[in-house]
Amino acid sequence: MTPKPLGTPKAEFLAGVRQALGRADVPPTEPYPRLTDTTSELEVQAIEVRRRLAANLPALLDQLADMAAKGGWNVHRASGTEEAVGQIETIVKESGATNIVRSAQEVFDQVPVDAALANQGTKVTTVIKDHDNPREALREEIRQSGVGITGADYALAETGTLVVLPRKGLSRLVSLVPPVHIALVRAEDLLETLDDLFLLRRLEYHQQGGEMGSYLNFITGPSRTADIEMTIVEGVHGPKEVHMIILG
Amino acid sequence: MPEIKTQDFSAASVAAIQNPKLRRALDRVASGFEVARLDRVAEATPKVWEDWKQQARDIKAHTNEHLDYYLDLLHTNVTAAGGQLHFAKDADQANEIVAHIARTRNVKIATKSKSMVSEELALNPVLESIGVEVWETDLGEYIIQLAEETPSHLVAPALHKSKEDVAELFSEKLGIPYDEDIYHMAATAREVLRDKFMEADLGISGANFVVAETGTLVIITNEGNGRLSTSAPRIHIGITGMEKVIPSLQDLSIFLRLLPRSATGQRITSYVSMTTGPRRSDDEDGPEEFHLVLVDNGRSRMLADPNLREALYCIRCGACLNICPVYARIGGHAYGWVYPGPIGAVVSPMLVGLKQAKELPQASSLCGACREVCPIKIDIPRMLLDLRNKTAESPDRNLRSASKSERALAGLYVKLMGSPRLLGMAVWFANLLQKMERILPFSHLTKDRKWIKKSLVPPLSKWTRSRDLPALPKRTFHDIWKKDLSRDDS
Repeated sequence: MTPKPLGTPKAEFLAGVRQALGRADVPPTEPYPRLTDTTSELEVQAIEVRRRLAANLPALLDQLADMAAKGGWNVHRASGTEEAVGQIETIVKESGATNIVRSAQEVFDQVPVDAALANQGTKVTTVIKDHDNPREALREEIRQSGVGITGADYALAETGTLVVLPRKGLSRLVSLVPPVHIALVRAEDLLETLDDLFLLRRLEYHQQGGEMGSYLNFITGPSRTADIEMTIVEGVHGPKEVHMIILG
Repeated sequence: MPEIKTQDFSAASVAAIQNPKLRRALDRVASGFEVARLDRVAEATPKVWEDWKQQARDIKAHTNEHLDYYLDLLHTNVTAAGGQLHFAKDADQANEIVAHIARTRNVKIATKSKSMVSEELALNPVLESIGVEVWETDLGEYIIQLAEETPSHLVAPALHKSKEDVAELFSEKLGIPYDEDIYHMAATAREVLRDKFMEADLGISGANFVVAETGTLVIITNEGNGRLSTSAPRIHIGITGMEKVIPSLQDLSIFLRLLPRSATGQRITSYVSMTTGPRRSDDEDGPEEFHLVLVDNGRSRMLADPNLREALYCIRCGACLNICPVYARIGGHAYGWVYPGPIGAVVSPMLVGLKQAKELPQASSLCGACREVCPIKIDIPRMLLDLRNKTAESPDRNLRSASKSERALAGLYVKLMGSPRLLGMAVWFANLLQKMERILPFSHLTKDRKWIKKSLVPPLSKWTRSRDLPALPKRTFHDIWKKDLSRDDS
C-alpha cells in the first residue's frame, strides 16, 4: 500500500512548473553526462580512480594528514597496529573517560583495542543492536560514554574528511554523541577527491539496483559554532575533540 | 508566512544605522566571513575558482530550465528509496502537510535543524498550535527562538546579538545565573538540547541540495545538530524550495567546494549529511519515516520571469550579504522579511509581492560587489535594476516606488536635460540663487565654497541631510568649451 501523498498532486504541481517555463512536457534534449553514463562507463572511470590512487599513495596519505589537520582533526600516523592501539590508549587515558563505545567494524579485527583498554580499566561497549542490547539501552550507553571509536568507509585527501556509510554495527551516534571521537583510517580507505567518492557511490548505487543506503555522512573536524559574536566554539552538539589515526 | 515588514524599509534602515551595537556586530561579520572567503579563493587560485563558479552556474541553469523533469525524477527516486515526497504550492499547504504528519503520528516533540524555508513558512507557530513542542537546535536559531525574533543573516541568524544579550536571554528564559562566557553559553545549549534530541519524535531539517538521481537530501552544518535531528528521532521531514534539486550525485562535489568557502571561508564544513529514504532494516539507527516537502510559494513566479529566473540559482551562502555596503550598515532585520541582503532584495519582492517590497530593490548602490562574490555568478544588480524598472514603469500606481512629487520632478529633469536653452537658463538661475545665498546671513556653503552643507529646497534638502551637495562651479563646462577649448581645426 502506497501512502497517499499530501498537498498538491504531482501532475498538477509539475503542470504549474511547466506553465512558468512556458512550454509543454519536454524532457532535456541534450544528454546530461553525469546521468546518462552507463554502469560500464562508470566502471572504467572507477578503475582509473583506483589506478591514480595506487600510483600516488604515499603522497596522498600525506595530503590526507595535512588536510585533516587543517580541518580540525588531531592527526596521528601509525606505522602498525600496535602503535595505533598505543595511541588510542593514550587518547582515552587523557580524556579521563571510564566508559567508551565503539562500532562493530572490520577494522577492529586488525586493531584489537578492547583488551588493551580493558587492561587500563576502561569499560568498552560495542554498539550493535541485538536481543540483549535494544536500541534504547545502547543509546543510553552512548550518552554516558566519554569516547566513541569508529572506522572509516573512506577518507578524502582533498578535504581531510572521514566518510561514513550505514552498515550493521555502525551507529551514527558513536561518532557524534561522545565528547571525543577517534576515527581509524586505513590506507585502503583513502580516496583523493570528492569527485572520486561520488563517482564510486554512483557506481555502487547502480550496481545495487538503485540502492544508495540510508545515509552518507562526511565528518571533518570537531563540531563547532560561531553563532555568538563570531567566536568559534568547538563541541556544541557533537564532539569537541576528534582524532584521526592513519594506519600506513 | 511570517509578518511582512518590507514596506517599513526606510524607517527600519534609519533606525538600524543609528544602532551602534548592531554596527559592531556587522563589523564582525565583514571582517570574519569575507576575509576567510578571500583566503579560500586565493588558495584555490582565482582561475580555478572562476571555473568552479561557471560549472555550478551551468548545473543550476540546466536544472531550472528542466525543473519539471528533475522534480519528476526526484519524486521517482525518493519514493523508490522508501520516502515520501510532497509538493506544496504555498506556505499554508506546506505547513498543513507537516502538521498532518505530526498529528497522525502523535508527535509531541520536534527538533529542528536550521531551515530558512521553514522561516519563510512560519512553520513553528503552526506546529505549536497543535500541541507540538518545537525546538530550534542550531545555536543561532535557538537564541532567536528564545528571543522570539527572526534571523538577521542567512548563515549566522543571531549575529545581531552580543554575548551580553545572549547571556541575559539565557538567564531570563532558562533561569540560570548570568554568564557571558561564550563557551559556557554554548555548553548550556548543548545540555538543554541534547535531552530534546533523544526525546524528539520528529526531526525537521532544511536541505541545501536534493539529488534527483538518487532521491538524496543534503544538509551542510557545523554544529552536528543536523546530524542529530536527522538520525535520532523516529520521523524525519526535510523541507525546502523546489529549486534546490540538482540532477546527479556527481554534481554535488562542485557545490560542496563552493558553498562552505563562500559562506564561512571553510574548505568544508564539519558535517555534510546526505540522507536517502528512511532507515533500512539492517541499519543501527535512523528514522522509520522519511518525508520531503518541496515548496513553490511564489518560486514559479521567479521561474516564469526570464529576467529574474536566475535568483532561483541561489545556494544561500550569504556571501552577498557579507560584502554589501548596504547590509553592512543596516543589518538583516531592516529588510523586513526572511531573506535579507542583496539576494533578499530580489527574492523578497518576488515572494511577498512587489507592491509591499517595492523599496527593497532601491537598497543598493549597484556597486556590483554581490555579483562578484556570488559563487553562482548571479547578476543581482541587473535584477535589482529590472525590479526598479518594474516599479518605475508599472501602470499600477500602487506598485510604483516613487512618490508623485518625485515622479513630477523626474519628468521636469527629463525636459530640462532635453533642451540646451532651458538648461542654460536653469544654470543661470541657480547661479544667481547661489550668489544670493552667500550674501544672506544663513550661508550654507562651506569655506571653500565647493560644497553645500544644507539645502532648504526639497528634494535637495533630503540629500543634504546625510551628505554634502557639490556647489555649482563658477563656470560651466559648456561655457569653458565654447570660449576656451573649442577651436576650428579646419
